[in-house]
Amino acid sequence: MADINSLPSPNEPEEALAAVVALRVMAERLEKKAVKKAIEQGWSWSQVAEALGVTKQAAHKRHAASIPKKEVTKNGDR
Amino acid sequence: MFNRIKLRFCDMKTISTLISGADEQARISGEDEPGAEHYLLSALNLSDGSARKVFERAGADPDKFRVAIGKQYNDALNSVGINDDPIKADPELIASTKIFHNSKPSGQAVMKALYALKQEDKDKPLVGAHVVGVVAGMDHGVAARALRAMGLDQKCIANLVKEELKSHH
Repeated sequence: MADINSLPSPNEPEEALAAVVALRVMAERLEKKAVKKAIEQGWSWSQVAEALGVTKQAAHKRHAASIPKKEVTKNGDR
Repeated sequence: MFNRIKLRFCDMKTISTLISGADEQARISGEDEPGAEHYLLSALNLSDGSARKVFERAGADPDKFRVAIGKQYNDALNSVGINDDPIKADPELIASTKIFHNSKPSGQAVMKALYALKQEDKDKPLVGAHVVGVVAGMDHGVAARALRAMGLDQKCIANLVKEELKSHH
């Protein structure tokens, strides 16, 4: 993990907050791609939720729209 | 009276196209809700063409705005030592056909500002240049940083929007 001292200084909020937003977008993209792969590989929504540290309902609500319907239904009740 | 009703009908159609376009732009970017940058991308596609003309008046290519959004993300990631997007730059297209009903706070701010503009001036139609003016007036955020990455100055854009609106009406 990057040394906190090498990150943009909070004293320069414009640059620091831009970095926060970009990291958040990158994390969201990684999350979407990883959840999609997990469901394709047969993970249940409970397993996805456990790995993400959220409830099954939250994981499903957040990601079901990005995943082909057949995969959602197939893994939905596991 | 009839003209007012006709104008209102036109504005409703423009707003509907703007919102659905912003939703579509958010989906293309792999984001759940549209922000100000997606409203600007949507405005650049409006058929009145005025948003594109503001960019052209500034000597900027409107089609480069999407590239500028990516650039400001990359610049910000570079500042934390991430030089190569480890998950590939391409976002995951959201496959859902659901129409989003929410916007990010920056997208909501765009719509609120447009509503206020229309309250001030009820006799002119809402066009893409209004959206450019509203978004360019934002000091911070993704859209503001992307406009700066294109070398576009807030005050300059504000003046060009006024010019475009004068010539448009």
